[in-house]
Amino acid sequence: MPASPKHSLFSPRRVLALAHNTLLELVRLKVFYFLLLFAFLVIGSSIFTVKFSFQNPLQVLKDIGLGAMSIFSWLLGLLCTAGLLPKDQEDRTLYTILAKPVSRFEYLLGKLSGVFFLLTLAVVLMSVVFAGVLGLREQQEIAAAVQNTPPESLAQEIESIRSAAFQANLLPGILLILLKSLLCSTLTLLLSTIASSSVFTILSSVVIYLIGHVQGIAREAWLGGGETTAVLKVLSASVALVFPDLQLFNVVDEIAVGTALPMALFWQVGGLGLFYILIYFLLAQVVFASREL
Amino acid sequence: MSISAISIQNLSKEFHVPFRREPLRAVKNLSLEVPAGEVYGLLGPNGSGKSTTMKILLGLVSPSAGSSFLFNVNSRHVESRESVGFLPENPYFYKYLTGLETLLFFGKLCGLRGKTLQDKARLMLQTVGLADAADRRLGGYSKGMLQRIGLAQALIGEPRLLVLDEPTAGVDPAGSHEIRDLILQFKAQGITVLLCSHMLNQVQEICDRIGVMNRGELVAEGRLDELLSSPNQTELVLENASPSLLETCARLAAESGARVVENRKPHADLERFFLKITRQKP
Repeated sequence: MPASPKHSLFSPRRVLALAHNTLLELVRLKVFYFLLLFAFLVIGSSIFTVKFSFQNPLQVLKDIGLGAMSIFSWLLGLLCTAGLLPKDQEDRTLYTILAKPVSRFEYLLGKLSGVFFLLTLAVVLMSVVFAGVLGLREQQEIAAAVQNTPPESLAQEIESIRSAAFQANLLPGILLILLKSLLCSTLTLLLSTIASSSVFTILSSVVIYLIGHVQGIAREAWLGGGETTAVLKVLSASVALVFPDLQLFNVVDEIAVGTALPMALFWQVGGLGLFYILIYFLLAQVVFASREL
Repeated sequence: MSISAISIQNLSKEFHVPFRREPLRAVKNLSLEVPAGEVYGLLGPNGSGKSTTMKILLGLVSPSAGSSFLFNVNSRHVESRESVGFLPENPYFYKYLTGLETLLFFGKLCGLRGKTLQDKARLMLQTVGLADAADRRLGGYSKGMLQRIGLAQALIGEPRLLVLDEPTAGVDPAGSHEIRDLILQFKAQGITVLLCSHMLNQVQEICDRIGVMNRGELVAEGRLDELLSSPNQTELVLENASPSLLETCARLAAESGARVVENRKPHADLERFFLKITRQKP
């Protein structure tokens, strides 16, 4: 009999094998229909804004495109992550995998990495569609300007159109959209290690998503006034600590109207997102490691 | 002295059931040893604690008390699984993968890669008779084929111990017979096998020793010949014996103080009969 090779506690190859398989599993689930929906929405809104909007159509298109990208990537991450563990356990593939020399940490990391790959791929594809539609509209707007604008102000008009189209200052915003979806997916993974059903995981993740978006407003409303009780302060601080302030990731609105995102803010929000991802993943690992399968 | 493939010492497992004060004791103070190279049958009715014991050995469940070791490595540690191949009951794999892709995936989890992995996966497919179905998706595999691919994935890491949970459940007699032959082949290669099955005939044919669990306790254990033989009885099968010869035999037995306990026509084994008639060429 061959002697067992020395076991390494952590193997990137095992994690990569699990991540690749998870990505394959999710792609086969036809999740990319979601992206098709996104493409229809962006192209549809592009046509719609030509006819009915009184605002700068490129601004409106950017607003809709980035907003849709944010919602779709979150929803995609949520739906993909919520079913991963329950399905593997139900099918007993979890037992077959963990009966190999694979630690629960590697398993969980592999699964989450698979979701991360998928979301990155999805956001890249959505960005390409978005940039394509925005580019087409830009060309249409320029063509219209050439026809309708007096020659003396044409150069200025074209410059104004180009500055409202897809530019490099959109990229940090798109990265934060991706980071937000990764954060929400990690949170969903944590919930799925605790919950006994995918439905509960999805519902609780949606509730936390909403809390994450309104907690900033609630904090301002509670603490912004002159008189604040100690209980409210503790409650607010606890909520702020446990749930990420997802409103912080909504820098998209400013970017859409052409405001460049300060890099300091980008790194700050990015760092916070990564910190929450790490904390949620470690918590998920602690729960999953002690779970009876 | 031979090394123990499985060593279980005073193992107990309690599950806390909601709305019940008393915990459910799935395994009670279980101790057993399986020497390397042996085929050991773990038997028992549903709910007797077999699956929980297996899950503890595979690190899927932690014991409430006691300990278990695989080749002297505590089964709580991941490295103990370097030596183990596991086939769960009614295995279900990723149906979007082909047979070959499935083995490549599990091979990677065992640390194999490159040409070694490719060669090993092909060899395993040949061993379990699925070489022709290597590129077919598992979604189109029959129950028996899934069971065989399950065996192949269990073997891909060259384990020293195979844990098989109902390896022939739902498989037709011909498939079941093939799996039995494979297990005997593994035994010949020196692989230790822990077999959980309700197919008692098959267990009797394959296993060197068995342990019977009931309500979480090991109620009987030993070599099959020791457990099943009746030391004061002898079986004599005669061919073309006339009634008068049988009468003479009975008389002689009575004269020497023995007794004919049973006089019956021997039955063919149903499985052998089935295989014989289904394997006949038209």
